[in-house]
Amino acid sequence: MDVKTVQDVAKFAHLELTDEELETYCKDLGDILSYFELLNEAPGCDERGVNPIKVEDICREDEPKIEYDADELLRDMDTYERYVRGPRLS
Amino acid sequence: MSMNDTLRDLKKINDKYQMFHAMTDDDDCGGASFLFSAKDNLTSKDMETCAGSRILEGYHPVFDATSIEKLRKIGGKLIGKTNMDEFGFGTFSTNSGFEIPRNPYDLDRACGGSSGGSACAASVIDDHISLGVSTGGSICCPASFCGVYGIAPTYGRVSRHGLIDYGNSLDKIGVLSQKASDLKKYIEVIAGRDERDPTSMVQPELKTAYRKMKSVAVPKEGIEGLSKEVDSAFRSALEDLKSMGVDVDYIDMPSLKYAMPAYYILATSEASTNLARYVGMRYGHQEGDHSLKFDDYFTAVRSKYFGDEAKRRILLGTYARMAGFGGRHYAKAREVRQVVINDYKNVLKDHDAVLAPTMPFTAPKFSDISKMSALDSYKADYLTIPANIAGTPHLSVPCGYDSDGMPVGMQFVADHWHEDVLFSIAEDWEKQFDLKRPEVSI
Amino acid sequence: MKIGLECHVQLPTKSKMFCSCPTEDCEYPNTYVCPTCLGMPGSRPVLNKQVLVYGIMIAKMLNCRINDTTWFARKTYFYPDMSKSVQITQYDNPIGEEGVYYLDGKKPIRITRIHIEEDPGKTKRTADLTSLVDYNRSGIPLAEIVTEPDIATPAEARQFLTQMIGDIRHLLNIPDDLEWVVKCDCNISVGTERVEIKNVNGMKHAEKALHAEMIRQIAMIKAKKKILRETRRYDPERDVTIGVRVKEFEDQYGYIDEPDLGIYHIKDLADSIKIAESPQNMILRMTSQYKIDQKMAKQLVNTSMDLAGLFEDVAKEFDTAAAIKWVGGPISSNWRTMEERDAEIDLMKLKGFIREYTNGKITDTQCAIEIKSYMTGVDASAAQEDSAGLETLINGFLDQNPKIVADYQKNDKAANQVIGYVMRQTGGKYSSAEVVETAKKLIEARF
Repeated sequence: MDVKTVQDVAKFAHLELTDEELETYCKDLGDILSYFELLNEAPGCDERGVNPIKVEDICREDEPKIEYDADELLRDMDTYERYVRGPRLS
Repeated sequence: MSMNDTLRDLKKINDKYQMFHAMTDDDDCGGASFLFSAKDNLTSKDMETCAGSRILEGYHPVFDATSIEKLRKIGGKLIGKTNMDEFGFGTFSTNSGFEIPRNPYDLDRACGGSSGGSACAASVIDDHISLGVSTGGSICCPASFCGVYGIAPTYGRVSRHGLIDYGNSLDKIGVLSQKASDLKKYIEVIAGRDERDPTSMVQPELKTAYRKMKSVAVPKEGIEGLSKEVDSAFRSALEDLKSMGVDVDYIDMPSLKYAMPAYYILATSEASTNLARYVGMRYGHQEGDHSLKFDDYFTAVRSKYFGDEAKRRILLGTYARMAGFGGRHYAKAREVRQVVINDYKNVLKDHDAVLAPTMPFTAPKFSDISKMSALDSYKADYLTIPANIAGTPHLSVPCGYDSDGMPVGMQFVADHWHEDVLFSIAEDWEKQFDLKRPEVSI
Repeated sequence: MKIGLECHVQLPTKSKMFCSCPTEDCEYPNTYVCPTCLGMPGSRPVLNKQVLVYGIMIAKMLNCRINDTTWFARKTYFYPDMSKSVQITQYDNPIGEEGVYYLDGKKPIRITRIHIEEDPGKTKRTADLTSLVDYNRSGIPLAEIVTEPDIATPAEARQFLTQMIGDIRHLLNIPDDLEWVVKCDCNISVGTERVEIKNVNGMKHAEKALHAEMIRQIAMIKAKKKILRETRRYDPERDVTIGVRVKEFEDQYGYIDEPDLGIYHIKDLADSIKIAESPQNMILRMTSQYKIDQKMAKQLVNTSMDLAGLFEDVAKEFDTAAAIKWVGGPISSNWRTMEERDAEIDLMKLKGFIREYTNGKITDTQCAIEIKSYMTGVDASAAQEDSAGLETLINGFLDQNPKIVADYQKNDKAANQVIGYVMRQTGGKYSSAEVVETAKKLIEARF
């Protein structure tokens, strides 16, 4: 695990790391990932499950419902004329 | 102690043990028939919900988690939201963005994690149950360190509607209490299908009739690396089990050693996507500088409010799921999960449960925890992780005390949907076990 | 030149993809929202079954192989309108793969895949450049259709989109008057390197964007400059594509399985869904089944699926010749007028006239007049007069211009000259379809 990779991953994850953090995470991730090489010798399996139990075919019908008061949902949000405020787009 | 006495003393209790992030101000329980607390990653309408993270400060959910809603419905009063490792990321509850709960048996030691505050509340407060959440062992570990009973039911047994996600394919909501009989009593209330959580919709009915545990399998991999005192407490507990008429067999489960790396890959991959939504908009901290470009704004908020371990797991998970980096790890981890499940199914054909100590050591001192590396603390979860990655129900019972009087726990793992045999062994065990309550003085 | 498209179309469900919020338009921002589509901590998704149904229908229309089992994936990217910073979409095992769709009945355009996913919200900029977000759209279901790079020109891309979107509208019963925007990512390579133009709105812009990018790439190649593999966007006002700065890993979304939904066995559902034939497929089938000119099949189908249906009815009950003569003739030319009249028309009655003709009870001309009269509401004698008047007019013109008959044998467009003449003479008394039909009949009589 090199510093450049940790920086790239952090950038993608939208985290800014101090030099000290960068050094720590670089070492930690290096240690952790080398230990995880253990997985290479683990047996494989053809079964493919998204969940540990079988969760299959759970749907709801297409029926519109309004279950929450929109004003209550917006109560703690930073809004302007009901729009949610956000940062610059570009 | 009456419920009103508990409410009256709540602040003082919390000053000493720091189990609650948020607490009720009420000093009268009203018409409530029991008091309960819930881990702070379960949403509650009347109390701020932060999941141990500063990034969520100020989040007042508009809905109750299904499990909380169901306990309120039968007359429960929610008295507090319990401190935890940020988003569940930890083994000692020391990775909290807020207060760190203290062990009821020794205030200089940790409660375990990540449901540390819940185990602490269950241990300290009389007639109290606490809702915990387990992703990799976060119910059984603190139950063991705080000397209480804790159960994490089968994945999908309790609706996760209202749970602030860590790893959605792993998270399970369960119960911690001093009393073994509470496990069945309250799991029965919170279990069941909930249309708001598809993964809860496939469960068979919960069985609650008594089913005696006749045999357990002790995997060799589960009794390696134990501290001397845990080892001897466990061996003596095995003798007690035998005298209760439970057969004990020693077996091999070689896949268990792969469960830990596979778990951390899956859990952090999912976590890194779950935590992507915390960007300083819509809820929690929203006070950043909007004149920044969105990438920079999101980065600033996230870097400021996520704690050290959250950052570490986001990095690990992002790395693990990116095709250009460690994408192969994610695919392999998913396969290993199936291998572990198949191994459990095999063993549980001939045995009612797989048994091992819950944790390889008793509750450590805060001063020792601070010396541990990240990998050291991940490794400490090797006994609780396999059942969690497999989604199988598991129970921790107190089974002894070390020379410092710190509790030791052991963990039974049953097959998917077979909680009944765990409820029964917990009650049978309680009848013959000499539980030593911590001395609670405020 | 190679062009491939990724098209996003909205699926017409009543509620959102993963929550029950209504999908209809709302005047006020952030009104049809709930914890799920706002991505609030503790909320989770539940799939709307109808989204699977619509996805399967489109997959069938595009002749895709439908996977027996399908599931969802999380695509992570950060943007203010994406409430979870995660889009629930499909990655492995999408609903349909390896399809083919015929452009104009002839040219196969291979379909790579079709999958279903949720739409983000909508952003707008304020004067100080910060954003305002409306999540009413967040969670609206979309289908994404990805083609292989089988499209040859920007014009062909537009033709493909027009035809496919028309077919999907018909398939999903989307009213003609409903604004229904298709968004595309367009991939184009003139030489060897591929450039992606992201987020183009509508078919017209897709053609223009591809055209602008084609011109740019040709100029680059001529100037011996290297074309970069990159993402660009289209500026319709300046009619140029502009390179956008792409972060190093932007095309790496770090997909993982979506663990909150489980998997879906859709084989039985897919088998149970029978889709109506698309207009395009109907044109193809009719052309080969009845051995008619594709133009006629196209005219019938594009005028109305009911008209095409009547053609098939008549062909079945009488024969193909009768269907061509009557349905392809006077019934077709009077169809629009009939529709505009908004009258109750009994198609059985039209078949009755044809039966009388085939039984020899009425003549060719009488039958044509009965049909016209019934469909347009003009009484038979007036219709007869009109018809006679039209024939006289056309015959007179043909007498003066015998070359038209000769030209017509080479190219039937020659009949158009007659239309121009009749229109000038009568000022729109007769419909153009009626004039063409009569002109053709009279010209062919002169061979």
